[in-house]
Amino acid sequence: MASSDPAVIQTRGLSKRYRRVTALSDATIIVPEGRISALIGQNGAGKTTLLRLLAGLARPTGGEVAVLGRRPSQDSAFVAGIGFLAQEIPLYRRFTAADHIRIGAHLNARWDEASVRHRLESLSIPLGQRVGTLSGGQRAQLALALTLAKRPRLLLLDEPVAALDPLARRQFLAHLAEAVAVGDLTVVLSSHLIVDLERICDHLILLAASRVQLCGDIDTLLAEHQVLIGPAKDTSAIERDHTVVQAVRTARQTTLLIRKNGPVIDPAYEASDVGLEELVLGYMGQQAAPAPARLTTIGESK
Amino acid sequence: MSWVVWRQHRNQAYFAAAALAAFAVLLLVTGLQMASQYRSALTLCAASHSCDNLSNTLSLESPAVSVLVTLTVAVPCLLGVFWGGPLVAREFETGTSQFAWMQGVSRTRWLSVTLGWVLLASALWGGAVSGLVTWWSSPVNSLMQQNFQPSQFDIQGIVPIGYAVFAVALGIAAGALLRRTLPAMAITLVVFTLLRLIVSEDFRSIYLTPITRSVSFLQHGRAFMPAGSYWLVSGGLVGPNGPVRTGPLGSGPTLSVNGVRIPIAALPSACRTLLFEAPSKTVGGFPSCMAAHGYRAVLRYQPAGRYWAFQGIETGIFVFLAAAFIAVTAIVVLRRDA
Repeated sequence: MASSDPAVIQTRGLSKRYRRVTALSDATIIVPEGRISALIGQNGAGKTTLLRLLAGLARPTGGEVAVLGRRPSQDSAFVAGIGFLAQEIPLYRRFTAADHIRIGAHLNARWDEASVRHRLESLSIPLGQRVGTLSGGQRAQLALALTLAKRPRLLLLDEPVAALDPLARRQFLAHLAEAVAVGDLTVVLSSHLIVDLERICDHLILLAASRVQLCGDIDTLLAEHQVLIGPAKDTSAIERDHTVVQAVRTARQTTLLIRKNGPVIDPAYEASDVGLEELVLGYMGQQAAPAPARLTTIGESK
Repeated sequence: MSWVVWRQHRNQAYFAAAALAAFAVLLLVTGLQMASQYRSALTLCAASHSCDNLSNTLSLESPAVSVLVTLTVAVPCLLGVFWGGPLVAREFETGTSQFAWMQGVSRTRWLSVTLGWVLLASALWGGAVSGLVTWWSSPVNSLMQQNFQPSQFDIQGIVPIGYAVFAVALGIAAGALLRRTLPAMAITLVVFTLLRLIVSEDFRSIYLTPITRSVSFLQHGRAFMPAGSYWLVSGGLVGPNGPVRTGPLGSGPTLSVNGVRIPIAALPSACRTLLFEAPSKTVGGFPSCMAAHGYRAVLRYQPAGRYWAFQGIETGIFVFLAAAFIAVTAIVVLRRDA
C-alpha cells in the first residue's frame, strides 16, 4: 500500500450542477490502485453523482476527471474496464439469472462465465427463476457477480448493501472482499454503514454538502487526527497550531477533534486516538454547524 | 448485441407474428373466395355485355372482413405505441439503462443495433399487413376503382411501411425524451394521429397540382368522369359569372355537385323550379336548363396514373420524419446523462 501506487481515479475540481442544484462541487480526489475506498456522506451529499461521473453515465459540468487514465466516456474501451452497480440494482425483472449471464456474454469481450455460475451455485441462487421473484439479497449478489464477471479494473458500487438484511450484507461484503483479494481490483463503495465499511475499506472519501471533506488512506487520516479532552477554557492556542474540525463545549469540559499540524503539547488536554466513525461523524457534524471557512479546503490540501 | 435485442423483444415479436399469421389466414381464405367470385362474375357479364354495370350489381366483400381490413389503418399506430414508446423509456424507467450501458459495448452501438432491428421489424410488419390488404383488395380495387380514396390509399401499397417506421421512430423519440413509458405511449398515439390527419387532409391533395375539368350538364353518366381509380379532390359549379359559391351548411336546401353542396338559392330560378316540381320526370329538363343558362360542373382530381407517385411521395415524407425522430433520439440518448 505504498503511496506510489498509480492513481486509478484522479479528479481535479470536478463539479456537477443540475439546473438549480449543485450535486457535486469542486471535488478533488485521488484513489490509488488496489484500494477499497469507502465513499461516505449523508443523503444528497453527492455520492451517487460522483460515482455516475466516474462511470461515464453522467457528464461533469466542470473540472477534470481521469479514470484508468482516460476521460470517462460511453466507448466500449472505457466501459469494459468499469464495473458499475447502481443503487437500485437495476436488472431485467422478467429475465432469469441465466438470461443475464447470456446477455453479459454477448455484450462483453472479457467475460468470466464460469465465475458467475460458480458464485451463484455456491449461494444457491436459482439460475432459471425470474429475477423479479428473487429476494433483494439474491438480486444484489447476482448483480455483483455479473459486474465482477466483466473482470473490471475498477468497481463502483452505490450503496449496494443498503437494502439488505445483516446476513445478506455480510455475505455480499465477503463476496466483494474475496474478489478484491483475487485480482488487481480497485473499489469505490458508498454506504451509510460505517461499521461495514471499516471492516473492508482502507481508503476514505468523505463528502458533505456536495464537497469533499476528506480523501486519503484511512490509516493515514486516522493518524493525522486526534481527540483532545480538556477543561472548558480558551482553545485559541490549539486553534492557532492545529485545525479544529469539531469542538463540543460543555460547562465542565471541551472535546476537540483536531487535524494535527505537528505534535500536540498541551498538558491541559488528554489526547486520544480517533476511530473511523468518530472521524466521519466529526466532519459531518462540523458540516452541519456553520464551519470556519478554512476548514472547507481540507480535502484539497493533500 | 443482436441476440440481446432479440431476447429483450422476442415476446413482442411472437405476439405480433401470431396476430399477423391469424390475419393472413383470414385474408387468404376470404381473398381467394372474392377473387374467384369476381372472375366468374366477369365471365358472366362478358357473355351478356353488362360489365359496365357490374359495380352496381356485384357485392364482393363480407362486411366483417371489410371492417377488419379498414381497421388495419391503426396498425402503424399500434406498432408505434407498443414497440416504439417503451423501447428506450422502459430502460430509463427501470434503471436498466445503467446495466445495459455499463456492459462492454458502447452506447452508440447499443442504440444503433437496437433501433436498427426494431425499425426493420416495424417496416416488415407494416409491409406484410399492407401487402396482404393490397392483394386482398385487388378485385375490389378493379371493381370499385376506389384505391386512390383516402380510406383505401392509407392501407394499401407502400405508405403503411412509411407510417409504421415513422410511428415507431416517434415512439422511441418520445420515450427517450420523456423517460416514462406510459406518457411516451400516449404522446405517440396523439402526435401520430394528428400528423397523419394533417398530412392526408391538408397536404396530400397538393403533392401534384390537381387536374381541373369542367363538364357540360348535357353529358351525364360515367362518360364524363375521369378514367380509372382517380381521386376527386373537389367539385363545384361554374356559372356565367364564375364559380358558384358554396353556401354555409344548414342555410336552406342544397344540391350536391361532385360532393360539393351548392345552395339551391344560388341556381337560376328557371332551373330551380324544374328541380323542385317533379324531380323524377324532369331529370332531362334540369341539366338542359342549367346548360342553357351557361352552367358547367367542375371537378378537380388526381388521375389514377398518379397513384404510385403519391404513394412514393407520402412514404418519403414519413420516412424523412422518422429519420428526424431517430436523430433526436440519438442526440438525447448519447448526449444526456443516463
